[in-house]
Amino acid sequence: MNARPQNAEAPAHERFPLKPGKTYGLMCVVPTRTENTGSAAEKQVQSWPAALSRELLLFLVTVVALGLVSYFFNAPLEEPASALHPPNPAKAPWYFLGLQEMVSYSAFWGGIGIPGILVGLAMAAPYLERKRGGEGVWFHHSRSGANWTFLTLMTTLGILTLIGTLFRGENWALIVPW
Amino acid sequence: MSIREVAVADEAGLLGRIYRSIFRVRPVPQTELERSQAVASNFFFHIHSAKVYEETLKFKKTLGLGLFSLFTFVVLVITGILLMFYYVPAPEQAYQRMLDLRGVVSFGTFLRNMHRWGAHAMVGLVILHMMRVYLTGAHKAPRELNWVIGVVLLLLTLFLSFTGYLLPWDQLAYWAIMVGTSIASYAPVVGDQIRFFLLGDDDVGREALLRFYVLHVVVLPAVLSALIGLHFWRIRKDGGLARPSTDE
Ligand code: HEM
Repeated sequence: MNARPQNAEAPAHERFPLKPGKTYGLMCVVPTRTENTGSAAEKQVQSWPAALSRELLLFLVTVVALGLVSYFFNAPLEEPASALHPPNPAKAPWYFLGLQEMVSYSAFWGGIGIPGILVGLAMAAPYLERKRGGEGVWFHHSRSGANWTFLTLMTTLGILTLIGTLFRGENWALIVPW
Repeated sequence: MSIREVAVADEAGLLGRIYRSIFRVRPVPQTELERSQAVASNFFFHIHSAKVYEETLKFKKTLGLGLFSLFTFVVLVITGILLMFYYVPAPEQAYQRMLDLRGVVSFGTFLRNMHRWGAHAMVGLVILHMMRVYLTGAHKAPRELNWVIGVVLLLLTLFLSFTGYLLPWDQLAYWAIMVGTSIASYAPVVGDQIRFFLLGDDDVGREALLRFYVLHVVVLPAVLSALIGLHFWRIRKDGGLARPSTDE
């Protein structure tokens, strides 16, 4: 498996000693940069067991966490559905309450326009951000502009969701939940 | 030792041959080669690379969020299939079946809890996973396409959760879908048609329940599973997870 020469540091004539029975000549010089010169070899490890054991652990954590929550908290079940008795207010599931909150300002923009633009922006984001660097590093300083824009949008959506979930009562009026 | 040699070396009667017909390596691989083969020659791990960069294994790099999303989905598929044995997607029966889960079916409450909390958790985990990818700059070239696949995965996850929300057929379910689908009707020109297409009617009723059920238990999970497969395959093709040493 370990094909790398042991003495990679040694000069070329030591690593590849001339064989006495052969003649040598310079055939050509290729004027390109070779792949990977100058960069240190990255450390790779076998997925088994290094990665797979961790993945199994995460699986167990998932099952145990969901199991515990399900043991202590029961899923809600209200009265049977009735088209004649609309609750006030009727609310979408929590992940759409940011939308519902925006819809209360403008039906088209809140429900279709802005969400559409956001999805479009999300899909375009990696193509718009062309500057390289900062990959695999949390909050890399060279990407602070992009990160701030992203966090601002996400926080705004989060706050709208929170308002729609907790601070909206009858007729969608602002309420204090406590 | 090659696969062949390993096979010959510990050929131990019938049981050994049955084992060998399924797994090509010893239960606990001993050599680097066998460890590679344990991953590469195993159907379940075929999508996994045999080697990973040590850098990307660190928990703080991913917070495990992609895998948590996946495993929550796995739990949802399993509990969902079990729930299908008890559920009937018809307005006269759906609610009664919820009561049965609570009163008659052993572990029925636990099963339903697991599926419901799992569904909420998955939406949250996928959103957090997306945030970690962006904030670590892992969406940029050459991973653009996998990010776009990811955005579709998020939309599918939302829609999967939303279609499931109607199935208990209680007040919460009914009116949430009423409100949610009315948002679709705000689209210009075709809004009302879109809503009609989703509900199979002008209002939430028998047709909507059936449509949401089919979407929820067949169409969306199938599409989501296929795309998750594509997502993982792309991680390999993009050279493993994003890390500073090569990309910078
Ligand atoms: C059903 C939902 C999803 C599942 C099961 C899933 C699963 C995964 C897994 C297991 C990884 C490996 C690294 C990690 O654990 O973080 C990963 C990486 C990745 N995911 Fe997802 N994902 C989902 C949704 C998304 C979404 C919504 C996005 C973005 C919009 C996304 C974009 C990416 C990208 C770009 C990578 C590569 C990251 C890197 O190279 O560091 N995924 N995904």
